[in-house]
Amino acid sequence: MTNPVDTDIVVSPKGPKGLASSSVSSLVLARWRTRLGKVVLFVTSLFLFILAIMLMKDGAKPLAPLIRDQFNINNAANSLGFGWLFAYIIMSGSPVAAAALTFFDAGVLDKLGTFAMIIGSRLGASFLVLFIGFIYVLRGRDRSTSLGMGLLSLLVTVSTYSVSLFIGAAILQTGLLDSVHLKTGVLLGSIIDAIFTPFVQILVLWLPNWALFPVGLIIIILSFNLFDRCLPQMSVKESQVGHMSRLVYRPWVMFLLGALITLISMSVSVSLSILVPLSARGFIRRENVIPYIMGANITTFIDTLLAAVLLATPAAFTIILTGMVSITLVSAIILLIFYRPYERLMLNLINWIIRRKRHLAIFMGIIFLIPLFLLIL
Amino acid sequence: MKILMATGGSAHSEQALKFGVHLLTAIDTERISTILTVIKYETDRLRAEEIIQHACTLVEPISEQIITKIRLGHPAEEILKETEEDNYSLVIIGEKQHHGLVTRFLLGSTAQRVVEHAPCPVVVAKGKIGPVKKILLCDSGIESPTLLGRFVQQMPRLIRGQEEITVLHVMSQMSAGPGVPGKQLRADAEELIFEHAPEGNLLKQDVQALARLSVNPIPKVRHGLVVDEIIAEAGDGDYDLVVIGAHRGEGWRRILLDDLAHQILAKLDRPVLVVR
Repeated sequence: MTNPVDTDIVVSPKGPKGLASSSVSSLVLARWRTRLGKVVLFVTSLFLFILAIMLMKDGAKPLAPLIRDQFNINNAANSLGFGWLFAYIIMSGSPVAAAALTFFDAGVLDKLGTFAMIIGSRLGASFLVLFIGFIYVLRGRDRSTSLGMGLLSLLVTVSTYSVSLFIGAAILQTGLLDSVHLKTGVLLGSIIDAIFTPFVQILVLWLPNWALFPVGLIIIILSFNLFDRCLPQMSVKESQVGHMSRLVYRPWVMFLLGALITLISMSVSVSLSILVPLSARGFIRRENVIPYIMGANITTFIDTLLAAVLLATPAAFTIILTGMVSITLVSAIILLIFYRPYERLMLNLINWIIRRKRHLAIFMGIIFLIPLFLLIL
Repeated sequence: MKILMATGGSAHSEQALKFGVHLLTAIDTERISTILTVIKYETDRLRAEEIIQHACTLVEPISEQIITKIRLGHPAEEILKETEEDNYSLVIIGEKQHHGLVTRFLLGSTAQRVVEHAPCPVVVAKGKIGPVKKILLCDSGIESPTLLGRFVQQMPRLIRGQEEITVLHVMSQMSAGPGVPGKQLRADAEELIFEHAPEGNLLKQDVQALARLSVNPIPKVRHGLVVDEIIAEAGDGDYDLVVIGAHRGEGWRRILLDDLAHQILAKLDRPVLVVR
């Protein structure tokens, strides 16, 4: 007869406490994985952005005859139209703005032409939200809710940038900001060259020089898409932030908020899309939107400013700074002096456009014909 | 009920006193009226006494007791000091229809400064003055208690059940993006109440609260800019009194939120009751 074996009975932690600790640790792990993923995405998008600028810089010069002779881009008016239509085609403003800087760097465009093309890129980019709204209308959604925000964004952008174009041109002509430079320094330039030149040289082996530009353009669009995925998911419902849909903030508050959010997102359309999840129903007070868009239209230049720094061309930096200063000036004047009449004008215009299909057709005709007309000047 | 009536002897001050008489005739409670006039210099005292004398003749029929005061200093500051020193239930003040640019954009009128800082409800009597038969109550529903709750608490006897009361909520919202369902952005009051939308629940709550006071109010929703729609409704409905909430007094709200009460007050052409 064998003695019974004395065995300690070990109970593994299967009770609620045990379950909680394992799920907590897996949750923490998942969160860290997500954060790491976002960091990798960010670094990748930054890498691709810089690579794209390098490629476009090298590819811009061979395209000079095409731009000057075929498209006849030789003055501020047709540069404006060119940037505007270019942004319509690729549905984004930042790559076109970056392209404008590379054209400037390559001597294809002068300062005023570059500035005009950048302004044109912003005008064209503001069409994106409206375009998305059109898709919804085609799918049977209501015209006013689908197009309202897109129309407002476009109208505010066109009205403010149109005036800032003249102010910016005056600043450039007088050289008021010429002394304001950002020196990148030899070290940064060397590091960038050391990292990215090998990639550019590999592509040069396979592609003609002029092809570097469109490849760079595609890569820059990809970099922005990747960057958008790094942004935090905003899903705040009825919290203090969610109350934004019910409270009427002072114009300067929404102006700063629009500027801050776009400083992070670097895209006006992304900043506008963030407004949707900020309330349970996707509503926002009319009074809050216009200053928000105005603020967004200023810091949307940040990525182009970065491109100017990477190109290491002081004059390119001055051009972007001129753009930011002129749009800030126009926005400040509107907000401080005649905001209420401006607000009513914008909202009444939208009501007029949405009221009938004919009005919408007229408006769409205008925003396509104007850049075409400018292109042939 | 202690009421402070500020008068400077001008035409709009006279209007304010007359409106005060209309308003308080309806309130079934003991009324102690303080008539205050503010002078800049001591040499104006004789003129001030004449103003007070005239004001008393207007107010006497509706007040069980009249106290008269003359203060020396800046009108807005002295009126506010008076409200701080004594426990008034209501301040009645007049307002000019038009002001100079400096007053409009920089200084603010006396009435606006009193509205901003007074610790009690303020009636700004301007424009069309007469008996109060139609009241427009503009409830944003953002604060707790609601405007109606505060109105009933601070001016309990103003509603006698004979007035026509409209409770207005302005939806100035628009869709923040293309994919947002927008039915509620076009709905009227009944539809919002039926759908249990936040605005509908607010109006339903207000209607039920007024029903307990034997009043059958008309709930209404307008879509557009808040200030513009309130002004438009006040004109369209030809109301005798518009009730609004004061701009929030404390902390981040005061700095960050727009002062709609100020804008409404500047543009309305009829008496306004600002509830704290």
